[in-house]
Amino acid sequence: TTTPTKRKEKEPFELDFLAPLSQPVADALYTPATTNSTISMPKAQWKSKTRNLLPDDKHFNSRQLLRLFLKPKARMGSRKAGNG
Amino acid sequence: LIINLRKIQEACCYEPTNPKKNQKQEDFEESDFNEELGRCAIRVLAVKKSEPVGDRIVRFLGLFLKHASEKDNALVEPEDVDTTEALPETPASRLTSHILSILLPLLTVKDKTVRFRATQIIAHIVNTLDSIDDELFQLVRIGLLKRLRDKEANIRVQAVIGLGRLADGGDADDEDEDSDDEVAGGILEKLLDVLQNDPSAEVRRSLLLNLPFTPGTLPYLLERARDLDAATRRALYSRLLPALGDFRHLSLTHREKLLRWGLRDRDENVRKATARLFRERWIEDCAISHKPAEDEAPPPGQVSAPRFDALLELLERIDVVNSGVEGGIAFEAMKEFWDGRPDYVDFITFDDDFWNDLTPESAFVARTFNDYCREAEGNKLQDMVEDKMPVVTAFAFFVQKHLNVLIDDVRKVALQDQDDAEAEEDTVQQEFCVEQLLHIALTLDYTDEVGRRQMFSIMRGALALAELPEECTKLVIEVLRTVCGGNAAGEREFCDIVLEAVAEVHDTILGEDPTQEDAEESFHSARSELSDELTPTKAKKNQKGGEDEDSSEVDEEKAIREIMVNMKCLHIAQCMLQNVKCDLEENNILVTMLNNLVVPAVRSNEAPIRERGLLCLGLCCLLSKVCIGNGYNLASENMTLFLHCFTKGHDTLQIIAVQILTDTLITHPSLLAPPPATQDASTDEPSPINPLLKPLTKTFLRALASPSPSLPLTACLAVAKLLLLGLLPPASSTEILKALTIAYFNPETAENPALRQALTYFLPVFCHSRLSNAALMSQIAVSVIGKLVVMRDEAEEEEEEMVGWTVVAGMIAEWTDGRKVVGGELCIKDPGERKDGAEEPHVILATEVLERALGAGCNKDERKPLLTLLSKLHIPSTNSPDSKYQAVSQEAFQTLHSLVAEAVETKLALDATSRNALAKLDAALLKRIGESDKVVASTEA
Repeated sequence: TTTPTKRKEKEPFELDFLAPLSQPVADALYTPATTNSTISMPKAQWKSKTRNLLPDDKHFNSRQLLRLFLKPKARMGSRKAGNG
Repeated sequence: LIINLRKIQEACCYEPTNPKKNQKQEDFEESDFNEELGRCAIRVLAVKKSEPVGDRIVRFLGLFLKHASEKDNALVEPEDVDTTEALPETPASRLTSHILSILLPLLTVKDKTVRFRATQIIAHIVNTLDSIDDELFQLVRIGLLKRLRDKEANIRVQAVIGLGRLADGGDADDEDEDSDDEVAGGILEKLLDVLQNDPSAEVRRSLLLNLPFTPGTLPYLLERARDLDAATRRALYSRLLPALGDFRHLSLTHREKLLRWGLRDRDENVRKATARLFRERWIEDCAISHKPAEDEAPPPGQVSAPRFDALLELLERIDVVNSGVEGGIAFEAMKEFWDGRPDYVDFITFDDDFWNDLTPESAFVARTFNDYCREAEGNKLQDMVEDKMPVVTAFAFFVQKHLNVLIDDVRKVALQDQDDAEAEEDTVQQEFCVEQLLHIALTLDYTDEVGRRQMFSIMRGALALAELPEECTKLVIEVLRTVCGGNAAGEREFCDIVLEAVAEVHDTILGEDPTQEDAEESFHSARSELSDELTPTKAKKNQKGGEDEDSSEVDEEKAIREIMVNMKCLHIAQCMLQNVKCDLEENNILVTMLNNLVVPAVRSNEAPIRERGLLCLGLCCLLSKVCIGNGYNLASENMTLFLHCFTKGHDTLQIIAVQILTDTLITHPSLLAPPPATQDASTDEPSPINPLLKPLTKTFLRALASPSPSLPLTACLAVAKLLLLGLLPPASSTEILKALTIAYFNPETAENPALRQALTYFLPVFCHSRLSNAALMSQIAVSVIGKLVVMRDEAEEEEEEMVGWTVVAGMIAEWTDGRKVVGGELCIKDPGERKDGAEEPHVILATEVLERALGAGCNKDERKPLLTLLSKLHIPSTNSPDSKYQAVSQEAFQTLHSLVAEAVETKLALDATSRNALAKLDAALLKRIGESDKVVASTEA
């Protein structure tokens, strides 16, 4: 764990505000993107069909499979057990 | 470390503040300073975004600029307070402009770190400063808007943070010139678009928390309650909504939806956040407004003491009369409320005044409190509810009282010629109160005989009143069932009482014989009238109608009344039948009811009556005893009738028919047994098939394919039950399972989420519950894929979206994975303990896949998904150590291997992945067969 903390400690020192810009940094700063599209999201992703919303949750649960339609209070359990 | 960093910061701080003071005297130094600071800002740009130092410097820069401009403005303002010009130029504003103009062109460089930092600094400056130069503002706006579409999500996040403020600014200053409003409006519009469409949840989340609350943005913000990302949903409930201010400003629909979505979210943390919002924030909004003015507001962070009136208002604000019906969200909300507010649980009391002056809200408080305590574990709450609730006799008195009020209300409304909205509203509220009381009555302890008898006679009296609304009727019947006691004698008494009430209701409404006969007699008269079907009543009607001037009108009124009587009687009967389980044939009174009330109703021409009649008949079938001897009972007798109702009936009747058929089959599985072999064995016919089977299967398949939205769901649930219980013979099961699987992948069912979700649950459960089920799935998989290939072509033509083949193949492979079948979990960990036959489904599937893929009729489009599926199957290269558990025969492996070999030889696979999969399978099988040969050899030796 010492190495990463050390590295982080060093960074602020290395960020010498007075030193001239190093070449790679300068390059990074002054190389504009060749085209707009290289740094932008593809247009296809601009629109989301679902608006990133969940579908309507119908809250299906196993209880719906364990009871009769006509007598929702009665469980089918007993008969199932009898059937093996 | 940090101290060093601070020193750097301090040094920076010192440096700029010093020249700033000098600026006043020596103007030329300002540009030097600006130059210098700009140079420093540039240094930050290359700092990676994971580096906290970078963020700190950005924050420092912002803070400094803010501080500097405040100082500057303080110096300038006193002199020109009323200048209408734009804000005066100051050294700080010039510095800001300088930095911004350095950064702006960097927003579009290639390096993403630089883009990120540049966006971050600009966004930060925008958020810390009150004003920027107009010209630059435009550039900033355009620059940030472009970053809204950056490839990198975290850059979009920064752009969103910056623009959120800009959208806000324009909106707040309504007096600004129009162009500014338009600018803000334009930004807002774009941001709302991003809020809905950005693929990154992080971007949506920071936008959610950075947009201004306005009536215009609110719907968009609240819509995020259903965001795909759980953390975003949680942010809405735990951060945005509590900060939003009084919840009473939200519309009723919004409150209800937010509660419903939040409390029923699939993510537990969202549910928790919603529950807290309800029981801590919303109740507090109400509590504060009910607090007497002289009381001090609680210190921030603390909650107000419990107040009954606040709780009542909270319930009123969520429209408890509607949200408190069965299945409504108010239940869950109140359960969470009691659960998280023990102070309220202790505080609440119910005295006589409370019960005398019930409102929907207070009745709901009592009912949910009662439910909460009685369902709670441990004696403490159970004892508490016993203490706080009145004794049964007293409670019965209150029930009676409120029932009377309700009946009076109903009568009043019925007598009114014009619609009186207020009176109707009162009735609805009173009905709700009575329902709550009856719900409580269902939970009481009736060991006290006096109380029991009292409740019994009240319920009995209430049931005989034609005016009793339906939901109350249902509850009254349930209470009666409870009060009568659970044994067979109790059930018999219960049936008697209810049917007496049916007769009484019948007489009251028809009003033909208002003189009170004794109950028994009036019941007989009711029965006779009904049993003779419509003819006698019609005759009477005609007699009376003839005397009247406009007889047709009276006739019509009569007919309507008659329908109402029937509906009411059938409803009572239906509720009763739902609560009994005796043998129908042994209870004469039920048989009479069946013949006199139900059977005529089934034949009625009025659709609603026929529906209810059919329901009752179905319920009777469930009660009917199966006579194994002759295989003949009410149910078997009526199966064809139910099938007929499906074929000829309208939507609702079809649903009822499917439900009855399913329930009857579940209750009487013997109905599907193959008929006993015929005595004369002369015919060579294969084993006889139950004649019901074919039309039944057809009915279910037709229902599944129906265009109506609810019928396929009912059918899906129906066959799901039948399949899970293993009630259908293989041929039907195969056909139905195929239909279900295809429906699952069919793009058309996407519009029926309830059906989709039921299938999502059912298919894996079915396949993994029994090995034979998984095997069944592997038998149909290939033909399902064949169908899907065709379907995909059609879908492409109609530009519908269908899931990719990898997903389809993955799901089928998973469903048919024998190791996942219940009891097979161990095998995944330890191949040595392979479950008996666990690999069978995949071996079957692999064989089927190859047979099809090698077949002449298989084109490229179909072969590809088939081979994808093949590569996902698991066929181990080692035998089970104990050869007696070898469920899959050697021949099966030999067959499969020769198929694989053929596939390799003919270069069936076109792409590398499938080729590798085939080669791997080939090697595995070779090894395995070789191994078995050895085992065989060694045992033979």
